[in-house]
Amino acid sequence: MKQKSYPLRPTGGEIRDLAQPGYYSGFSTLAQKKKWDETTRQVVTERVEKVPPLRFFSSGEAELLTAIVSRVIPQDDRAADRMIPVHPAIDERLFKNELNGFRYEDMPPDREAYRLGLKAIDEMAQKRFHEPFVSLTVHRQELILKSLHDGKPDPAHRIWQRMPVHRFWTLLAEDCVTAYYSHPWAWDEIGFGGPAYPRGYMRLENGLPEPWEVDEQRYDWNAPVDSLSELDEQGAPPEQVLPQAHGSSS
Amino acid sequence: MSMLNHHGHRLGSMQTLPAPMRKYADRETVDYCIVGAGSAGGVLAQRLARAGFRIVALEAGPFWDTEKDWVSDERGSHELYWNDLRITGGKDPLALGANNSGKGVGGGSVHWAAFAPRFHPSDFRVYSEDSVGADWPISYWDLKPYYELLEQEIPVAGPAWFPWGDPHGYPYGPHPLGGVGDVLVRGCAKLGLRSVAGGPVAILSASHGDRPHCIYRGFCIQGCKVGAKASTLITHVPDAIDHGAEIRALSMAARISLHDDGRVDGVLYIDRDGNEHFQRARAVIVSGYAIETPRLLLNSACSGHRHGLANSSGTLGQYLMAQAGNVVAGRFDELIRLYKAPPAHALSEEFYETDKRRDFARGFAIQTVGPLPAAFAKQMMNAMGAWGWGLRRVMMDMNHWATIGVLGEILPWEDNRVELAEEKDQYGLRVAKVTFNLHDNDKKLIEFGKKRVMEVMWAAGAEQVVQESRYAHLVGAARMGSDPATSVVDKFGRTHDIPNLFVCDGSILPTQGSANPGLTIQALAARTADYLIKQGDAIFFSNRRDQCEPGIRYDLSPPYTNFKGNPRVA
Repeated sequence: MKQKSYPLRPTGGEIRDLAQPGYYSGFSTLAQKKKWDETTRQVVTERVEKVPPLRFFSSGEAELLTAIVSRVIPQDDRAADRMIPVHPAIDERLFKNELNGFRYEDMPPDREAYRLGLKAIDEMAQKRFHEPFVSLTVHRQELILKSLHDGKPDPAHRIWQRMPVHRFWTLLAEDCVTAYYSHPWAWDEIGFGGPAYPRGYMRLENGLPEPWEVDEQRYDWNAPVDSLSELDEQGAPPEQVLPQAHGSSS
Repeated sequence: MSMLNHHGHRLGSMQTLPAPMRKYADRETVDYCIVGAGSAGGVLAQRLARAGFRIVALEAGPFWDTEKDWVSDERGSHELYWNDLRITGGKDPLALGANNSGKGVGGGSVHWAAFAPRFHPSDFRVYSEDSVGADWPISYWDLKPYYELLEQEIPVAGPAWFPWGDPHGYPYGPHPLGGVGDVLVRGCAKLGLRSVAGGPVAILSASHGDRPHCIYRGFCIQGCKVGAKASTLITHVPDAIDHGAEIRALSMAARISLHDDGRVDGVLYIDRDGNEHFQRARAVIVSGYAIETPRLLLNSACSGHRHGLANSSGTLGQYLMAQAGNVVAGRFDELIRLYKAPPAHALSEEFYETDKRRDFARGFAIQTVGPLPAAFAKQMMNAMGAWGWGLRRVMMDMNHWATIGVLGEILPWEDNRVELAEEKDQYGLRVAKVTFNLHDNDKKLIEFGKKRVMEVMWAAGAEQVVQESRYAHLVGAARMGSDPATSVVDKFGRTHDIPNLFVCDGSILPTQGSANPGLTIQALAARTADYLIKQGDAIFFSNRRDQCEPGIRYDLSPPYTNFKGNPRVA
């Protein structure tokens, strides 16, 4: 099912099929799990070992969602056995109808929003490229998705008249990043220390690693040559007016 | 009366739930039924139980066992929040849920970051001084003794000298500085702005009774398993239970019942199995926070109160406020590792007050924030439009970023409000619809605040600075005031319309300043408790409204808290 997004740009290091992308080679949060409290250990271990079965989406929808999710949070640089399950987490949330505490007045309920969004994306693919979304090249898939990201669906679709495209994009992308960056393999990738109770941290300043963390080892890498999802200029403001995020309290 | 045993139920890593807890039967009439065992409800239950009243606090969420229920994990902490459906709209709709609403014993104090600054004296006189917003029916000086008392009870760690507003010092010493706090202090210093570090924050820098000190793991807003961060779950609820209060968890209040005599006589609620119960009470205090409080009062509409209980003014649900919470993120060449240390640990209030040279009233604070990976990824999506490979790349650099927030005062406006939607929740109760629009003053303030904080970030040495617009906290929607035509409750939280119905929580705040509201909510709760204790049985049998100040009681604090801490500088 996985579609590799190659070729990579000719410069920079080879990134495909890594057990652990990122700059913290040798760092493993899970290797520390004996130091965690029991409840946390259970919750995090289960996330890795028990991928929830698909129960909300039909197999056709799931295939489409997987293709979409693979572009929103691409994992082509990860080895097949080190891929982080993203679409099963979305399926589980919708199956259980877990809410995030609110719904925008101009949005349908999350379940309906996903069904509508998937339908729109597939029909946009048909209209623009005369193929289902899942059969498109990665570049063409990204053309469709980037138009949603930019708030300018291309081609236009009637569903975006009833459901604001920026809200659907935020819903989808937030669910994707929540699933990805809640996984301990992603923590290893970004050098996040992970659970730290009851031990805690002792080196608070100057970005110093704990004895069980590792120092950063940077290297250059390139996204696939035809990818549209690299940041154009570092820090360039997004084109559309972005809605506020969900998130945490301050 | 029966006894429930809670042996082994942990509240933080050292404390256990007092066992047994008193349990009232529904048919028994209690003195006070408190709706919501959060920041205010926990303090009220503790004070009133100590004074000998018969107390039941209904809490919609669970009674947390911090060891079994909480995790050192971002995603696994979802259940701490009020996740039930609410509809949000208006021109600038607020994100709800995880952003600002707790569910479970301790309420929002379970997931607050625990910044605990006081409001400034000017916050109580916004209309008099700036001709916008509203004045409070009390002054800072009425609340000051309660700030001092709660700073000892929860307690607050921070600098010996806090220079803004009414200058003061803190009873527990400041925390060591983390990487993000260092950025804030460095940036402010470069620009000649004063800052403080290591607090004020309701997190222990030294052990306190049966609570240990902080371990700097950074999971404050995921619920503190350590028990170092204050929540009423661990600071006041155990003492309330020790003194005979019942905290009845998983009990969702549906309606407050009004008797023929114009007084309330109890609360209809729904238990975990969907069964309805009626708790009889001689008086009711609603402490459900800025959305659930107006929702419950609106859902309690009845003959004679067709537009909601205690809503003769028509202002119930109006003047809802959130604070501007723009997050400014800066990328540094060196490593920061922003996940270490409490998210709340350094701030500046240099821009807090109105400055006549600016084209807007009131101001903002600058505070550290500490998003964990999923939250940080969302911020990068919003601040940079990052997705796909761009998002993967920027996230691989997470340890190079620091995040500092604007905490800006948004004024109370009539059109920012809580109403009832047509949709119903799992209990069959109409859900809240929240409408929020920024006004001209708010927009100018946010624009100015955002720029100043970005300057701080550049001054600290960032090589790239981006920002995300968002909001923090919720207050208002059942505001206090002296005029029954323009407010819902009086200065003690008593509704103008119904003599034995009170509101005590963030919803009674007429304005919000640029300070995190938690400490002020708890200080107001302690003050209302003193009033109720002083009034005694008069609350239950008389409709007379005594507006005399009760005088502060220093003998009602939880154990270990009396006269603790360093001598005060101011």
